[in-house]
Amino acid sequence: MNAIALQTVDRRSVFTRLDFRPKLFMMFTITMVAFIWEDPRLGGGLALAVLLSCLAAGIRAGYIRTVLALMLPFSALVILTQGFFSTTLITTLTGRQPDDFRMLIAFPSTWPLVGGAGLSWEGVLYALNIVAKSLTMTLVIALGVFTTDIDAMVVGLVKARVPYKIAFVFSATLRFFPLLFAKAQAIIEAQRLRGLALEGMGLLRRLRIYARIVVPLILSSLIDSQMLDVVLQSRAFNGSSDRTYLHRSRLKAADWIAIGLTGLFLAAAAIGYAVFGIGRFGGVLRP
Amino acid sequence: MLSDSPSGQERTVTYVGGATIDGAPIAYVVVLAAVCTALAFIPFSVIVALGGSFPLSQAIFPLVGWILGPVAGAVASGIGALVGVFVAPHTAGIPVVRVAGAMVASFVAGTMRHQGQRGWWWLPTTVAGLVSLALFGGRAMVQNGVSLWAVAAGAFVDWSALLLYALPTRRVISKWLAGPSLGAVAAGLGLGTWIAAGMAHLVQSTIAYFIYNWAEDVWVMLIPVIPVENLLRCVVGVIVGTGVITGLRAIGLAEAREAVI
Amino acid sequence: MPQTIATFSNVSYVYPRSDTPALRDISLEIPKGEFLGLIGPNGAGKTTLSLMFNGIVPQFYGGRFFGAVTVAGLDTLEHPISSLARHVGIVLENPETQITATSVENEVAFGLENLKVPRDEIRARIPRVLEAVRLEGMERRHPQELSGGQKQRLAIAAVLAARPSLLVLDEPTSQLDPVGAREVFDTILELNHTLGITIVIASHAAEELAECADRLLLLAAGEIVDEGPPDEVYAQVERLEELHIRLPDITRTFYFLRRRGFSVPELPVTLTQGLAAIRPLMTRCDPTPPEANPATVRRDGDPLISVTHLSHTYPNGTQALCDISLDIHRGEYVLITGQNGAGKSTLVRHFLRLLLPTAGEVTVDGEATPDLTTSALARCIGYVAQNPDVQIFSSTVEKEVTFALHHLGLSSDKIQTRCQESLAAMGLLAVADRHPLSLPRGERARVVIAAILALEPEAVILDEPTTGQDEQGARLILDLTKQLHSAGKTVIVITHHLHLMADYAERVVVMGERTLLRDAPIRVAFHEPNLLAKTYLAPPQAVRLAQAIAHETGVAMPFLTPMELARAFTKGTAAGNS
Repeated sequence: MNAIALQTVDRRSVFTRLDFRPKLFMMFTITMVAFIWEDPRLGGGLALAVLLSCLAAGIRAGYIRTVLALMLPFSALVILTQGFFSTTLITTLTGRQPDDFRMLIAFPSTWPLVGGAGLSWEGVLYALNIVAKSLTMTLVIALGVFTTDIDAMVVGLVKARVPYKIAFVFSATLRFFPLLFAKAQAIIEAQRLRGLALEGMGLLRRLRIYARIVVPLILSSLIDSQMLDVVLQSRAFNGSSDRTYLHRSRLKAADWIAIGLTGLFLAAAAIGYAVFGIGRFGGVLRP
Repeated sequence: MLSDSPSGQERTVTYVGGATIDGAPIAYVVVLAAVCTALAFIPFSVIVALGGSFPLSQAIFPLVGWILGPVAGAVASGIGALVGVFVAPHTAGIPVVRVAGAMVASFVAGTMRHQGQRGWWWLPTTVAGLVSLALFGGRAMVQNGVSLWAVAAGAFVDWSALLLYALPTRRVISKWLAGPSLGAVAAGLGLGTWIAAGMAHLVQSTIAYFIYNWAEDVWVMLIPVIPVENLLRCVVGVIVGTGVITGLRAIGLAEAREAVI
Repeated sequence: MPQTIATFSNVSYVYPRSDTPALRDISLEIPKGEFLGLIGPNGAGKTTLSLMFNGIVPQFYGGRFFGAVTVAGLDTLEHPISSLARHVGIVLENPETQITATSVENEVAFGLENLKVPRDEIRARIPRVLEAVRLEGMERRHPQELSGGQKQRLAIAAVLAARPSLLVLDEPTSQLDPVGAREVFDTILELNHTLGITIVIASHAAEELAECADRLLLLAAGEIVDEGPPDEVYAQVERLEELHIRLPDITRTFYFLRRRGFSVPELPVTLTQGLAAIRPLMTRCDPTPPEANPATVRRDGDPLISVTHLSHTYPNGTQALCDISLDIHRGEYVLITGQNGAGKSTLVRHFLRLLLPTAGEVTVDGEATPDLTTSALARCIGYVAQNPDVQIFSSTVEKEVTFALHHLGLSSDKIQTRCQESLAAMGLLAVADRHPLSLPRGERARVVIAAILALEPEAVILDEPTTGQDEQGARLILDLTKQLHSAGKTVIVITHHLHLMADYAERVVVMGERTLLRDAPIRVAFHEPNLLAKTYLAPPQAVRLAQAIAHETGVAMPFLTPMELARAFTKGTAAGNS
């Protein structure tokens, strides 16, 4: 598990130079636009742009590979289900009737179970829109978070009016979760060392064993938290945002430009969708 | 009564306590958030609909709400899930869906108090749940032509959780959780997890449905799957919860102000 | 600025939900610049006293408070903890829970940010305090990358940044290896000498306290039982032993000599004093070496555990072990020692198939470990890890002990019998119905040992069993290992507390630089200081004294304990003296 530095990128880029606040706005905007758009061309373009931005920003290939690998079975499932079953949805969105669908695969009606069913091109297109959305929503958060130093993130959150206590919990969680993960591993190991053979256990027994990992993990962590509380008190911590900060979060010209461009993009996407139907699924099927 | 009288004069002690979030010591919030993140690494079951697996942390979000209260619990679970999204992408799914589910599960659980000044919090929560159900079911039936029976059966976990939450059941659960009988605690945990995890599933499904728009055939396929998954969460919730609650009572740790247990 | 930095006036304290005072009628003055050591058994009140300096007790815990504590002229009940934090820094036992930030500089800055120190001032102080604790240049490092000793020094730096006039440390070295412990003591001594910071430290590290402290305060059952310079306090050997408080080996050696009729005007408390004190005795007496050379302990038959050319490289490329070969026979008592990172735990984890060899072979009872499962091996070899809390899974002590027995297919009568025997052996019958986590740490460790023993393994491995224990707790656990050994079990103890093992282990495996540096009888291994130094260990004080005597007299002195060393001196006359 390599999570100490939350996979923060190694190289400088336009993304690492931006303050966290414009990145928060960008993450929100791109997520909303991806959510709204149903045109696979635009959605796919947005997903591609985010993916390329991640690569350009230096997000580790291992992480991107993991996300893409996880998306493969999901994508296949979505393509099949939407391709075979989304008849009513496509009709509602486009006005096109099922008889006018372009079938990529059509099973003869005489076949048992699947007879008459078919994989439609329109359904596949809709599925691709879903895949693009999911990819965008996943990667844009990584783009914003992994290109931001933890310190800058905490101060940026506070400057964005997030209570300092919340920002502190976030950074402290990053500090402590590797310890707790190691503790969870140690508990699993301790159970095996007590003679428990996890391999070959039935679901219910495994369930009980997993549960037995969580109980000592939670209890011992809460016991340790008492001392953490003492430490925080001893360092004059009261959770107030009225404090000084070692690190700075200042909006520079580039940040304002980024906020402006993001705002324009959001406005254009909203107006385009509402007034001109840009981003609606029907657009992709027009001849 | 002290057996020997101290020689010094007794002083008035102003109990300060430490920094808190909604009455829960911030140190508790931090460690439980970190526990949620750590458990995000352990996949527990496969979710067909969302194409991923659900992590072990999902089974403890309600417990976090019962230990810390609704607001602190939601913060701990939400942050734990958010960090988990990045460090354990294999169980993450779509970040906003995962985080929203975590926060809702803890929040709903934390509002199940039978006493205190927040007795009315169930009402806006129920309204929000109804809105979510309307959006979810409405979109399915109106846009995607899913039949009523498929929606009713497919969203059984969601509407049953909402119904049980809206009814005084939650107050009964709260009494069971705070009571001395371990059997009652277990029953409270089981039922409470069904409700909290069900409401979380409702919110997650609503967001996800606006992205995925799965057709009736998929609804039908999921009818047996979703209740079984929620039941698994309940079973884990009971086993973990009884162990944790028993332990907390034995250790005598200071409780969060809004704790339900 | 007052000459006295802190004053306790008739202070008593009772925790909430308790009737027994944790501290009783404590009156104490601490002059500025003093190095004060707090000693006493676990539960004596050292931690409570330590937390009073900055008002944590009672402002954070509540409870009943009597008397007054003033620090830097401020009454600790009338000023908030945040005000007191400017004058008092606290460093606690566990290095992990004290560090809340994700980088060294953030950790140092955290307290200053809370105190609203201006940013530029924070920036200026960070490199200065890091230099003071010898962590300069590590500003951007993540705390996970630091060793235990470095983490504690970071914790010191973090409180030092606020420029306190008083630094309070509660068992800061109990979870560290000897290197880390030494680093911490060196650091705080330097802070005391060069910056004039008053130090109050609660510790069981008798030898370090004897060297560093200006004054010791002996606490027992919440009361100050004695106070004075180390040579006065440690001189009360019988009283301290009654209270189960650890003494420097040097002091015990000379105490035994005095009991044997030798004239010892003052009991030395440091090695330097001891060397000076032994010289007059050497001119009057002949130190008698042991009767025969120590025989290598060997057992017959096939080894229980056999390691042949074992190497292990972790997936990230770190080579943890390099070409290790050794055999452990049934009935042996083996000490495995070495600095942190030497490979001790990595080696032992191979015995239980928690790790598989990258090269070489490990067999247990003739079978190669890859052919076995961990759970099967666990029935033959019991393993007690360092942290008891991760090995507790049940809601009562009794259930914990029977946890694994249910999976062995034993009858319920047999399970009950084994459980009762195990509980009795560990002195836990009275707490059988209690939740294990409600017990003090020392008892929790014994619960885990009881649970392992109930499996009736042939061998028992204990990993750092004495960490966090006071002298009494440590001896209790080690005496148990002696009983197990006497009953024919194979015992393997991993520890760097060498001073404790002289009465127990027969054989020592010294690990260092990822390899096996030495495998020899304890009497041989402990007398190879250069070898031990390679893995940053030092022999017990009694051994160092013996070596110094050997150096002076030219006669080998392979003694391990103060008692052995004292017995070596006979009151006969030297050649030529009447």
